[in-house]
Amino acid sequence: MGLLTILKKMKQKEREMRLLMLGLDNAGKTTILKKFNGEDVSTISPTLGFNIKTLEHKGFKLNIWDVGGQKSLRSYWRNYFESTDGLVWVVDSADRLRLEDCRKELSALLLEERLAGATLLVFANKQDLPGALSKEAIREALVLDEIKSHHWCIIGCSAVSGENLLAGVDWLLDDIAARIFTAD
Amino acid sequence: MLGYIWQYVYTSFLRYWLKWLIRHATGTCELQRICSGYKPGATRTTKAEYSLQSSKNKVLREALETRKDNLEQCVDQIMREKDIKPQKNPQFKENLHICLLQITGYSSLFISVEDMRKEVFNSENPEHEAMLLKLWDLLMPTVTLESRITKQWGDIGFQGDDPKTDFRGMGMLGLINLVFFSENYTKEARQVLSHANHPKLGYSYAIVGINLTEMAYSLMKSGALKPHFYNTVLGTPELRHFHQLYCYLAYEFDKFWVEEEPESIMHFNQYREKFHNIVKTHLQDPAVSLVLKTNMDK
Repeated sequence: MGLLTILKKMKQKEREMRLLMLGLDNAGKTTILKKFNGEDVSTISPTLGFNIKTLEHKGFKLNIWDVGGQKSLRSYWRNYFESTDGLVWVVDSADRLRLEDCRKELSALLLEERLAGATLLVFANKQDLPGALSKEAIREALVLDEIKSHHWCIIGCSAVSGENLLAGVDWLLDDIAARIFTAD
Repeated sequence: MLGYIWQYVYTSFLRYWLKWLIRHATGTCELQRICSGYKPGATRTTKAEYSLQSSKNKVLREALETRKDNLEQCVDQIMREKDIKPQKNPQFKENLHICLLQITGYSSLFISVEDMRKEVFNSENPEHEAMLLKLWDLLMPTVTLESRITKQWGDIGFQGDDPKTDFRGMGMLGLINLVFFSENYTKEARQVLSHANHPKLGYSYAIVGINLTEMAYSLMKSGALKPHFYNTVLGTPELRHFHQLYCYLAYEFDKFWVEEEPESIMHFNQYREKFHNIVKTHLQDPAVSLVLKTNMDK
């Protein structure tokens, strides 16, 4: 094995990313994960604990962690923070009653030291539902414009139809890659 | 690779030659030998199903898609095709009829299960709402629900203040299974709930139940439950038999969880998978019967 191959291998190993997907229960985290991975999304049940999927996308190896969002599980979220490159915050855009809850949980996360270096992607999910708020309304409700500590972006999507999932993940990967792989 | 070649050669040629030989040597056809040579249940029915599926005769293959009411005539037709004399084989007709009721019944049961799963829980449907409240009353007979939207739902293991979003992909099938268990095995269901509410080893009772409905559903869909139903129902399986199977899973999963003492609920999927494998191993046994045995039965 030549030096070049070793270097290439090291580079490849570096091209691994760890994404953490969080949000309130029933936001659609597991559906996003499965849809993105091309799996059937019609028989999903609530997540207890977490799901992890490793998949290849645009030459990156993505380790995506999808952690259950019910209240009693949120205290465990911290166990998954370590070396997270990207945080995907999933919002049920039709769940107006819990938007304030959603804002609080997100702002608490952004104060976490171990997530300090992570890029934030907000998915305003369930845009296919008739009562869904627009991504602009979600942006306002979550006061995203106040965020100075993280690179962030909000994208309206539908996990059921798959609309915009790719656009969101691509933005996230580009942002992370620009931060960590081109620095040297 | 060799195995594949052998299998191909066997199923395409050897099997027929062998059948032809035995048929002429013994004077009985394969279906007759299956129906008289094996005990009723999974062994017989699985073999009959395979024999019919791989038959060159259209009448035999189509028997697998025949409606329940026409099955008797269908058996008569098979007997004519295969020249089986009722006088000489008095048991054959009845035996094959039962096999066919089981085989076609499995497919129609899956259709009913699928319809129930696709029925979304709807708060505006009074029947759905009544069933949800019934679940509460069965599990928590001494506690009144303060309102329809309340944190109390967490006490029976729903995620938030309103259980309606928790049924998700399992729809009414998830709720009906939960109610069936609480109604028909009330003591056991409450015992399981008390384990689920254990401060350290606990888990979300209702959510785990919905996950187990998903397990039952996927086992049903893949055909893995055939031996279980062939052994336990000598006729057409019905929805209540599916709910019974759910009760078995709910009760056994609880026992498994308590014995394993997982570190926390965060490891649920890992233990779910382990339990799933145990169930699948049971289903490999031709004598499998996944029936809930309570302490009272022992």
